[in-house]
Amino acid sequence: MRQQYGRRSQVLAGMIAFFALAIVVQMTRIQNSPEAEIFRQQAENYAYEYRTFYPNRGEIYDRNGRLLAGEKIVYEVGVDLNVMTDPHAISFAVADTLGLEYENLMQVIQNPPEGINYIVLADYVESSQALYLQELKKALNEQAPEGSLGGLTGLQFKSHPQRSYPEHALGSNILGFVNREGKGYFGVEEKYDTLLAGNPVTALVPTDPNKAFEIPDAPDGTTLVLSINRDLQAAAEDILDTALGTYGAQDGLIAIMDPRNGELLAIAVSRRMDLNTFWNYDVVYDNATEFNPAISKTYEPGSVVKIFTMAAALDSHTVTANTTYLDTGSVLIGGVTIQNWDRNPWGVQNMVGCLQHSLNVCMVNLSTQMGATTFYNYMDAFGLGHLTGVDLAWEAPGRLKVPGDSDWYPVDLGTNAFGQGIAVTPIQMMAAASAIANDGRMVIPHVLYAMVRDGRQYEAPDQFGATPISKQTADTLSEMLAISLENESSLALVPGYRVAGKTGTAQIPVDGIYESDATNTSFIGWGPVDDPQFMIYVWLERPTESPWGSETAAPVFAQMAQRTVILLNIPPDSIRQQIALK
Amino acid sequence: MNIPNVQFPNVNHLVHAYRVAPWRVQRQWIGNALLVVVLFAMAAALYLNVTSRTAIAGREIQNLTEAIAISRQVSSDLQTQLAGLTSAASMEKRAREMGFRPVEPDELEYLVVPGYVTPEAVDLSSSDAGPLTVLTIAPAYNQSLLDWMDEKFLSSTRSAQ
Repeated sequence: MRQQYGRRSQVLAGMIAFFALAIVVQMTRIQNSPEAEIFRQQAENYAYEYRTFYPNRGEIYDRNGRLLAGEKIVYEVGVDLNVMTDPHAISFAVADTLGLEYENLMQVIQNPPEGINYIVLADYVESSQALYLQELKKALNEQAPEGSLGGLTGLQFKSHPQRSYPEHALGSNILGFVNREGKGYFGVEEKYDTLLAGNPVTALVPTDPNKAFEIPDAPDGTTLVLSINRDLQAAAEDILDTALGTYGAQDGLIAIMDPRNGELLAIAVSRRMDLNTFWNYDVVYDNATEFNPAISKTYEPGSVVKIFTMAAALDSHTVTANTTYLDTGSVLIGGVTIQNWDRNPWGVQNMVGCLQHSLNVCMVNLSTQMGATTFYNYMDAFGLGHLTGVDLAWEAPGRLKVPGDSDWYPVDLGTNAFGQGIAVTPIQMMAAASAIANDGRMVIPHVLYAMVRDGRQYEAPDQFGATPISKQTADTLSEMLAISLENESSLALVPGYRVAGKTGTAQIPVDGIYESDATNTSFIGWGPVDDPQFMIYVWLERPTESPWGSETAAPVFAQMAQRTVILLNIPPDSIRQQIALK
Repeated sequence: MNIPNVQFPNVNHLVHAYRVAPWRVQRQWIGNALLVVVLFAMAAALYLNVTSRTAIAGREIQNLTEAIAISRQVSSDLQTQLAGLTSAASMEKRAREMGFRPVEPDELEYLVVPGYVTPEAVDLSSSDAGPLTVLTIAPAYNQSLLDWMDEKFLSSTRSAQ
């Protein structure tokens, strides 16, 4: 009996062992079957996914560390259809808070695309509005009867950064803006878009949330420090706005640069937009050149060009400062009679008088004495008709016709000498004039002062352009311009500071014919003459109060220079010379 | 020589007495089998323990990474808010409300202060700037038990060589 029981046990154990072995064999067989390999491959396909991590966009500061462009938190408001309890309540609350259409929201919520459980109702919602909805959701949950959920259950909020400009419209023409896709447009935002945006990092991420995975470090975009002085920019915009009203100008700009190194300190333009509402671009501007006319808008500069003609004449030893000539009030060139601005003869004049009275006849004489080749070589060396290389998007090159061009005529040699028949940008004029203020060497205007990456600041080196004239010519011409302003008792003079500069009054060509009753007025000047630390260019379009640069742009220059010396902490010449003597 | 025919009547009894009882053999087999099962259970428990700790650590890392990202966002947001409060327009408005007005050039008096240096442009370098971009999760948090054993085995093999 006992043996029989033992045998049964052995048979039973054997059967169990056999079944266990069979299970193990079957498991092994299944795991190594061709089908298993297919399933394994499918599992691996879904186990990981490529995900791109976008870095935060770099910030933009002014030279004193004032934030000009940063990030703020906005919210995506959506609804989880799986847990939503009351679509009417959600639609009503969202519509009422965000100013959306209730019916549209209901339509979206009640007719979701197939297989979709989460619907975005609104994006880029301001923090205050999202916070209000969150508080409302919380309050409704607390007031809901025991065991039930609040009416806004399912309403979800996801925060994400959005570009923000705390100064709103201040310096908008310099900064540019970033759209909601993160792409920069205009100004610094476009020019340095790649640097600011940083490098997105794509990584293979496990889909299993329980798998430990470190999100790859996507370094933030490079932070930029601009050479712009925020307070000077604000002052320039304030003065420009006042000037537009005072002189009845249609548009205008004031640009300020350090002529020693090309650092742009301020560029104020009349049309500005709040960069936080960049979608109003079309409302503010008619075309892209209006966003920053200082670099994009080409125009006939008028008499300001006379300083370059005089520089060329002095440098080529065609004349000296004391060379005299008899001004008869008109001169014939290329079959066309050129007259002075007042159509009067000015008698015997030296070169200082030529600049002081802004005599067209004098300039025609100079250009013809130099000859077309020499004259245009100098104009080319000054960069007229070329890009300056300023680090702002949408710079225009302008146009300088030269002999050989199909539309160049002999009269152009005369008219170009006093600023007619050429197209330049304000930034081009400043770059060219920097040669006179900077010992004959031109600077390349720029707004980038430094960049900050991984906690380290790298300062951008100063860049210099051509040297069209000698130091001696530059010094002589600066002195001549300063004397001409003083002799004239110009409205551009700045008490306590010796400045050099030149007015410009240009007729406006429309379809090849100059308008008879409208001008563009300008003034370019720098100071202090013995150690130039600022260069200011003022340009007013179609002033109605007076057609002359000496009566419109010159006083604006003086006003701007007075604010500039205060904000840049430049002491008067007498104090500065005392310091130098010590 | 005659050898006496000695009889051992109790031999069979002794053999029977000292032979291992069948139930003992069965118990030994059962014991061994249970030992194997227990060992497997211990290994499985250890594996489960390590895996669960890894999963928890992974979750914590994800939560902390998210918290860092949110903190950065909040920091940027606050910085932007602060910049808005100290913007040129805001500061001018506050100054005017407090009775200040822009200084006129003829009201200025420059004093020469020995040793005074005009402030240079801002330096935004961070004092704790250091090399980053290295992965910092220890292998223990994303390595399976088998991976760990494999690594140990390989390292011991290498050291033996």
